[in-house]
Amino acid sequence: MIPTQWYLLLSAGVFCIGLFGILTRKNALIFLMSVELMLNAANINLVAFSQQWGNLNGQVFALFTMALAAAEVAVGLGIILVLYRNFEDIDVTSPTTMRW
Amino acid sequence: MTGAFDLVPAIAVLPLVSFVIALFAGKYMPKKGALAGIAATAGSLLLSLWVALTVATGDHAGYNETLYTFVEGAGTFSLELGVLIDPLSSLMLVIVSLISLLVHVFSLGYMNDEGETGLPRYYAGLGLFTFSMLAFVFASNILMAFMFFELVGLCSYLLIGFWFRDEGPPSAAKKAFLVTRFGDYFFLVGVVGIFATFGTGTFAGAESFPHLAEQALHGEHEVTTFFSLGEQAWFTVLGLLVLGGVIGKSAQFPLHTWLPDAMEGPTPVSALIHAATMVAAGVFLVARMYGFYLLSPTALGVIALVGGFTALFAATMAVVRQELKQVLAYSTISQYGYMMLALGGGGYVAAVFHLTTHAVFKALLFLGAGSVIIAMHHNENMWDMGGLKERMPVTYWTFLSGSLALAGIFPFAGFWSKDEVLYETLVHALGTGGIQGPLLLLGYAMGLLAVFFTGFYTFRMVFLTFHGEPRSDVAEDPDPVRWNVKGPLAVLGVLAATVGFINMAPVKEILDVDVAYLHQWLDKAPEAYLTSVDHYHHLLETGAFAGYHAEELSPLLPGLVSLAIALAGVGLAYRLYNVPEPVEHTDRLGRAKTILMHNYYQDEYQVWLATGVTLPIAKAADTFDQGIVDGVVNGISSVSRFSGRGLRRLQTGVVSNYAALLTVGLVLLIAAFGLLGGWF
Amino acid sequence: MNRPRLATNLNLAAGVAALGLFAVMALVFVGAEFTDPNGFASGASIMEGIGYALFDLTGQFDVRPGEGIPSTESFLLAFELIDVVLVAALVGSIMLARRESDDSLRKTLTDGGRDEE
Repeated sequence: MIPTQWYLLLSAGVFCIGLFGILTRKNALIFLMSVELMLNAANINLVAFSQQWGNLNGQVFALFTMALAAAEVAVGLGIILVLYRNFEDIDVTSPTTMRW
Repeated sequence: MTGAFDLVPAIAVLPLVSFVIALFAGKYMPKKGALAGIAATAGSLLLSLWVALTVATGDHAGYNETLYTFVEGAGTFSLELGVLIDPLSSLMLVIVSLISLLVHVFSLGYMNDEGETGLPRYYAGLGLFTFSMLAFVFASNILMAFMFFELVGLCSYLLIGFWFRDEGPPSAAKKAFLVTRFGDYFFLVGVVGIFATFGTGTFAGAESFPHLAEQALHGEHEVTTFFSLGEQAWFTVLGLLVLGGVIGKSAQFPLHTWLPDAMEGPTPVSALIHAATMVAAGVFLVARMYGFYLLSPTALGVIALVGGFTALFAATMAVVRQELKQVLAYSTISQYGYMMLALGGGGYVAAVFHLTTHAVFKALLFLGAGSVIIAMHHNENMWDMGGLKERMPVTYWTFLSGSLALAGIFPFAGFWSKDEVLYETLVHALGTGGIQGPLLLLGYAMGLLAVFFTGFYTFRMVFLTFHGEPRSDVAEDPDPVRWNVKGPLAVLGVLAATVGFINMAPVKEILDVDVAYLHQWLDKAPEAYLTSVDHYHHLLETGAFAGYHAEELSPLLPGLVSLAIALAGVGLAYRLYNVPEPVEHTDRLGRAKTILMHNYYQDEYQVWLATGVTLPIAKAADTFDQGIVDGVVNGISSVSRFSGRGLRRLQTGVVSNYAALLTVGLVLLIAAFGLLGGWF
Repeated sequence: MNRPRLATNLNLAAGVAALGLFAVMALVFVGAEFTDPNGFASGASIMEGIGYALFDLTGQFDVRPGEGIPSTESFLLAFELIDVVLVAALVGSIMLARRESDDSLRKTLTDGGRDEE
């Protein structure tokens, strides 16, 4: 069996790739994709520990997070549509009205 | 039946009640509050007479009780209100209440009959003033005296400015208040100093501060002095500080400038406040704490010099006045100078005597002037008068009685009192050594010279007003005055002629009969109070204290000299002004007259002191306050605003920035936990 | 159609934070000590176990000996809840995406008054 640390390392890597996308990208759709990456990194983590402890809890929980990710993407796309309607652009750095 | 002494507070409270009645119910009353005032002052007079009678005949000729302690000091002094009745204060109570009653009656004629408006305010002011003055007289400690000193000043302000819709009176009221307040500032410092030094402010008794000071100089008692001064030097400083208030209130040089302007007020007010009672408050205060002043020959010398100088200074200015009340105002300043001269010269009885006689004849002269003013339709210029002798006989004869008293002509009241003032000063001047003697002699010389001027200006005033031919239509046909004007005049006229007989000291000396009643009266104070003439005499002659010594001199010669000088002044006025068509002879003085008319430019000088000296200092203080004090406070707030302005730029509104900050925070946290927990 | 191009308008400076996070996490994970992974029984059916766990049916059916279904806790409530969440998300996204019937209100003032005048 592969030691659990490597799975955790993989999960951390995918998470940080997603995080990198959130921090640097301007396009709102790419932003959403990065969020998906982060969610899936968490899933990898869950499944790895499910194997570590021999318990199915982790895998079932991963299913639920996938469902949640789907719901979140649906709502997120709706928000991007509204954003486009108001700012004529899907650049996440353009709606800056809620500030000083 | 309670004793007279238990009712002493009622003497002051009755006018206070009339103040309240006049203030709130005056406009509903037929005489707008006058009757309440008359009833109250009559009650006070009766009570004062009863108190005086008790002092005269009772076993215990005094009363010194604390009535109310409003701050109880734990381990330090207490602040209290109390009553001190001894011969001096009971005499003053009678004087004040009598003059106040006569002024209230006179006001019926001067104010009510002339159709003045706002009378409830007037009678309320008179009531409040009478209350304050009476309470000041029987004050048992110096703090209470200070409180009522200030209160009479306030009433003076209110009453001088009675006709506030005109230009002059409010300005005069302000000037009176400010000038006396300036003196009262030093008085307050002195009061605080007395409390700090002696731990008490009471006037009489073994625990009073004059007695403690006397014991300190004997070395029997420890007092704290300040600024590392010796005890006698520090007591001199305290005495001079209190003297500041006295000089302001009694209109001595240099704080005399307010009194001539105070004549803007109604004449009864001038009679009551600025002739007989309020200005007497200063002199009374010195007499009250005479035991303290006697410990310091320097303070006595200052008092004598200020008094003598003021007497001469004001008398010269009265010579050129054209308005009737102005002459009387300067005359008041001058006569109070005499009282101060007496106090400085060691003549306690003489000063009190002159205070009494002056209250009577000056009030008489002011009320007489009021009568003339009513008749002349409020025209005060003497050059528009003349020939009123035949047309206003009661006024004329009472006014003449008062003028003879003022000029000091035998046998009227002023002769005896002024003569005794000068005599006491002279004998102490000749008998005391060192520098004190010549100083007193200088004061005496100034006082003697002022006698000439007094006689001159007094009779110039009488002749211009009453003698000769009428110089205007109003003078030909003056308005008649009623009984409420003539009544007080008659009472005071008789008193002015006779009150001198209460202390005919020369007669006592020469004929060896015991007629110095006032001296005996003032000596009656109980031993324990240490306010008797005998005690003061003892302090006066002790070398460690004042160190005065009286030369053996018959009173006949000085008396004759002063009488001759007074007659010379009267004679000159007679020659120059007792003619059918007098002219302004003072024009011959030329430049000197200009200086005198401008009051030696004292008013301009004081205004310059305010605008040229005080105002720049105040501006500098204001700059310091705005710039430095406010600057520090504003600086602190600007730090917060500046940093806030910078920090709020952190909220850019861009989500990615927030995410970046989140991540950085997370990294730092994990790193910190990892290092602390040994995860690495 | 434009072909995809490498993005050049990145804000790379913020990405350093992500790299930092990866570094820290990698350090921690590589140094972590775990016991040997338990794993599952060789013939056990994972899917069956997940299914039974979702509907809280564990222990209600015959178990083949030697091939035990791994035990787990029941997720029935969570299943129902996620069902509701999915429906809500569906409806919500449709509502957000709906075009306004009145075209004039399309562009509301969202600039905070800054672009005005």
